Order: sequence, then C-alpha cells, then structure tokens
Amino acid sequence: MNLEQLHTTIQQLSGIDGVSGDEGAVREYILEQIKDYCDCQVTPLGNLVAVKKGRRAPQRRWLFSAHMDEVGFLITHITEDGYLKFTNVGGIDERVLIGKPVRINGSVYGVVGTKAVHIMSQEERDAAPKFSDMYIDIGASSRQEATERVQVGDCGTFCTEFFSFGDGYFKGKALDDRAGCALLIALAQSDLPYDCTLLFSVQEETGLAGATAAGHQLQPEIAIAVENTTAADVGGVPKESQVCRLGNGPVLPFTETVTKYDRQLVQYAKQVAQEKQIPHQVKEGAYGGTEARAFQTAGCGARVMAVSLPCRYLHSPACVLQERDLEPTLALLKGMLEGNPAFD
Amino acid sequence: MDLKEITLRLSQAVGISGAEGQAAPLARELLSPFGEVSVTPLGSVVCTVQAPKEGQPHMLWDAHLDEIGMMVTYIDDQGFLKVANTGGINRQLLMASSVTVHTEKGPVKGVVCSVPPHLQKGDKRKVPSMEEVYLDIGFDGQQAREHVSVGDVVTIDSTSRVLSGDLLTGKAMDDRACCACLIRALELLKGRELPCGLTVQLSTMEEIGGMGATTAAYQVNPTHAIAVDVSHAKSPGVPEDRCGILGEGPMIGFAPILSKTVCRELVKTAQEEQIPYQLEGMGRSTGTNADNIALCRGGISMGLVSLPLKYMHTPVEVVSLQDMENTARLLASHLLQAFSTGTTCE
Repeated sequence: MNLEQLHTTIQQLSGIDGVSGDEGAVREYILEQIKDYCDCQVTPLGNLVAVKKGRRAPQRRWLFSAHMDEVGFLITHITEDGYLKFTNVGGIDERVLIGKPVRINGSVYGVVGTKAVHIMSQEERDAAPKFSDMYIDIGASSRQEATERVQVGDCGTFCTEFFSFGDGYFKGKALDDRAGCALLIALAQSDLPYDCTLLFSVQEETGLAGATAAGHQLQPEIAIAVENTTAADVGGVPKESQVCRLGNGPVLPFTETVTKYDRQLVQYAKQVAQEKQIPHQVKEGAYGGTEARAFQTAGCGARVMAVSLPCRYLHSPACVLQERDLEPTLALLKGMLEGNPAFD
Repeated sequence: MDLKEITLRLSQAVGISGAEGQAAPLARELLSPFGEVSVTPLGSVVCTVQAPKEGQPHMLWDAHLDEIGMMVTYIDDQGFLKVANTGGINRQLLMASSVTVHTEKGPVKGVVCSVPPHLQKGDKRKVPSMEEVYLDIGFDGQQAREHVSVGDVVTIDSTSRVLSGDLLTGKAMDDRACCACLIRALELLKGRELPCGLTVQLSTMEEIGGMGATTAAYQVNPTHAIAVDVSHAKSPGVPEDRCGILGEGPMIGFAPILSKTVCRELVKTAQEEQIPYQLEGMGRSTGTNADNIALCRGGISMGLVSLPLKYMHTPVEVVSLQDMENTARLLASHLLQAFSTGTTCE
C-alpha cells in the first residue's frame, strides 16, 4: 500500500460511522480489505481478529491492535417538541459540539443547537456548555415526528468534511483510531517476514472491552497498540507542554496516565527506528492511555507498548494528522516485527 | 425561481461585513430581472423596481447581505493565525470548527485550534476568549505568511441544506433568508401594477453597525421603508417571552422607532389575506437596520418584519420555507393594499 492508498483508506474509514458498540459498518469495510490476505474471525463481542501468515513463525506471539470505534453520542430521550437529548459515548470535550452538524444512524442529519449569543448573559457566553443542556435538532416538531426517524438508544457522531490542507495535513472525524486501522490494513496486505495477529477491536473509547476480551482469547506475548496520541503543538501552547509534534514521526511513550509500557520493548522500538533511520519521537508527557493496558494483564501478561500517530484535536470533529507521519509509522511496525526479538 | 434553491445559494455565498465578496454579485444577479440594479459606494446592492411618480409614496424594502465572521489579525512564527471577530460571534462554537480563510490567491482551509483537556488549568473549563483563539492552517510561519495576509477574512465552514421537511439549515440565513424573501416578494408582484415607487436594497455591514443600510437609504430617499431581518425562534433554553415560533409566520415588530401606522397596516394585511403572523414588541431599539433607516434624511415611516430563526449566529441556523413564503406574501400584499386606497400612509 503506497502513501496515496493509505491516505485514501484513512479518508474512507473516517467517513464511516462507528460509535463504540456500533462498529458494524467499519468492520465490514475492513473485512473487505483484508479477507484475501488473512484468516479472519469476527468474535461475539464484534472484534475482528485477523491471523496473518508471514514467511516464518516468530520467536514470540505478536499482536498489533487498532480500535474500530469512535467517540460519539447515544440518544437518551426525545422531548415532546421533538428535540433529541443525548449522552456522550467516550470522552468528548463539551466545547466542541455547539453549532456542529451531526449524523444519527449513519443517515439522519441534525444540528446541535444553542441559545443565540444575543440573549446569553456574559457568564453564559464564557461557560463551557454541558451535555445535559445540549440537544440535537433534526427538524422534527413533535416526539411522534422524531420517533419516525430516531429512537432512544440510537447512536450518532459528527457530520464533518474530510479535507487535506496546508503542507501535508488532513482533517476529519474518527481519525482516532481509523488511521491505526488503515495502518493495520496495510500490514495485512503486505508480505511480512513473520506471522502476527492483527486485532481490530471494539469499544476502546468506553473502557477497552474489545481489547480485554481479545487479550484473553489471544494471549499475545508482544502486543502493540497502533494508536493516535494527543499532540498539543498548536497555537498558544509552550514547547514544554506540547507532548509531541506532527511531522516528527511515530510517538513512542514510555508511560501514559495508567500504563507503564515495557521498557525493553520501547528501547527495542527506538533502536529499530535508529538503525533504519525512521523518524520517531518519544512522548513528552504522561497523558492518555491505550488498549495496550488490556493486553498487559491478559493471561500471564505480555510485553506491551503503543506506537502512535501524533494527532491534534483528538475526539473532535476535526482530528488533524500529518501525511508525513504515516509511512514512518508503518515502517517502524514492520521493522519491529522483522527483528524477531526473543526478550529472554 | 425556486425559493429553496435561491436561499441555499445565498446562504452558501461568502460575504462578511465589509467584505461582502460573493454575496454581492449573487444579489445583483438575483435582483436584475426585477429592475435596474446599482451598487452604492459602501457596497449595498440597490434595485429600483419602480421609480415613484411625482407625489407618490416610495417604499424601500431592506434586508442585509453581510454575515458575521472573523478577520486575521496576526500570523505567529509557527504559522498559527490569530483572529478578531467581525460581528457577534458565539465563541462556544469555535473549537474544532473547520474554517476557510479567504485570501487574495483563493481559499485556504483550516481548523480552529483547541487546547487538549489535559492542559486546561483549573476545575472549570472555559470557552476561549477571542484572544485565546488560534487557527491552524497547516503551514509553518513562512508558508503561512506566503499564503495569508493580515486582514484576510475567515468564515466557519457550513453546508446549507434541507434539515427536514420545509426547514432549511446553514450559515448566514441571518439575513440571506430575508434577502430571498424580498426576491420572492418581487416575483409575487411581477405583472402587477404598483401603486407607489418600490426599491429593494440588500445592504452591507449590518452586523457591525448598519452603515450599508444608512447610506443606501440616503441614496434611495424613500418615504416609507420596511426592514426585513431575522428574530429568535423558540428553542430549548430560550425564554418564551423573548422569541417567536418557527413555522407560525412572519413577526410584525412594534417599537418606538417604528411607525404605528405601518405596523398596524401590516397586521391588517396579514389578517385580511389570512397570512399567519406573530407580533414582536421591543421597548428600545430593534437591533436591526430599521433603527438606522428610520432616521434617513428627515426621517421616514418605518416598519419591521422579522423571520423566525433558530440558533442565530451559528453555522446551523434554521428557518422555515413556509415562514419565508408568508413573509414574501405579507410584504407584497401590504404594498398593494396600503398604498392603493390612499387612506393610509399619511
């Protein structure tokens, strides 16, 4: 898969709606892309497990994972006037929703309304809106009219355009972690030196349910979460708070909020990157987390780490990635597998 | 001409206060079938539908062409842009919005930066002030300066479309939906003999003080005028006493600056023609071009008709086509009725 194909795959995946617990359409797309290259299994929870044959058996059982789900919301109530009340699915900053178009069930268009700024008090203008005060307007004038199109329990997500901009950047919803899914699809379609398992997991954003079950099922010895991590290299943020930077290659964290990654494995990744002259960066800050956590404690435990794309504005309608980070990340993943370490 | 189509086209056109760009030529194109069209020094588009005969009243209909937006004020060394608001921006909707910077060389896409939650200090997350807002256009400092200049205007991206049934959603429905109403009213009058002079102005700079309407009205020199703007429609959280209801017809304004005669005529017309309408009482200024146009030259008889609209000053404003059609009917019928008998409009 060349860079252009990788980019197109990410764009297509970004356009598919798959809120945690509702990943079916994303799974269908991925299955179509990889079924000729791997032995595929869909588990009862909805994970897609793809066993990829390489040229040889590795010294350790390798697992690469990316999650299919995205943050979004779930309809909890429909008012008498036909407005939809909702709750967030996964972590969404309340401040990125007002005035944005949304899509429910992949097809019903709605908008997140607000009181007009003209009739807000100064306090209201400065305060972050709360989920409990927000609602979606689908243009229905009554509950009955609304329920013809939307039911309580239905899921929705941002309705936003995918576009490239500036010098190699692109923007879209759900790049966390569809970009990771695209990298795993690229691995699936490659000729690999060693066998590995590729996991496309469900429900990462709501508590690692997919990864926990898969860890139990697969019991890997080395597991790598292929993820997106928060980059704060944006206007108004001083260098020491930026965590990582777009365009500097895959991000290798030693630690995140909860998980301490396997030190030897991280050092190994750095060494592979240096030997192969792959641009990379160490994460400067202990924020966030990945589903590697779930593999770490599965069975008798695995060596885990995360290899992440630096991503601006995670969990918003406008996740931003840099094209130049894609190929180095893919190269690092392949390089790590190729080294076939035993870690005895 | 399809009211829905022209409204969506007008809504999608870019035209920030003082830089009415694409909106002005589109207004010109849409008005040209109805009379001679000219542009004032401040950019307002004026269509003389029928010049008044000696001694005849002369009605001016006004809707504003401009929309709120932002302007680039600074480009930092990392290529991020600082901006100032043009008109009343709701800062709550800025974070993670897609934007377009309109440069001399063409549009440049970007997004509004948001600082990740883990870097937010304090318990209460606040909405960024305009001083804290940056735009990310994906360029370093040097590249950004090559593409963008201080003074370039910025719009929040939005797609104008049908929300559901006869409801439309998009940016700048305030006040392009009313521009469309005026065009529709002219269409309703086509072939009718007008009892007075009639001029339509689609005016600039309403959102920053109404300078376009003031100066265009001076040039038109009417005896009567009706400003057509949007007003708040009921939605969750909006106090009922401060709004109208979407789908229940145009709102006829009553305010100190407005002529009681014109206001009552509008009500009478609505009743006689069985056009649904709502009343809107304002104790001080109207916050529309009516405040300025009423003072035109020695002062004129002023009316105000408002189209109910939800989520004003957002990229997802909502209006009803049925309300728009009724607004057009009200204006056209009022013109024919009020001036034909000679009994009113002293």
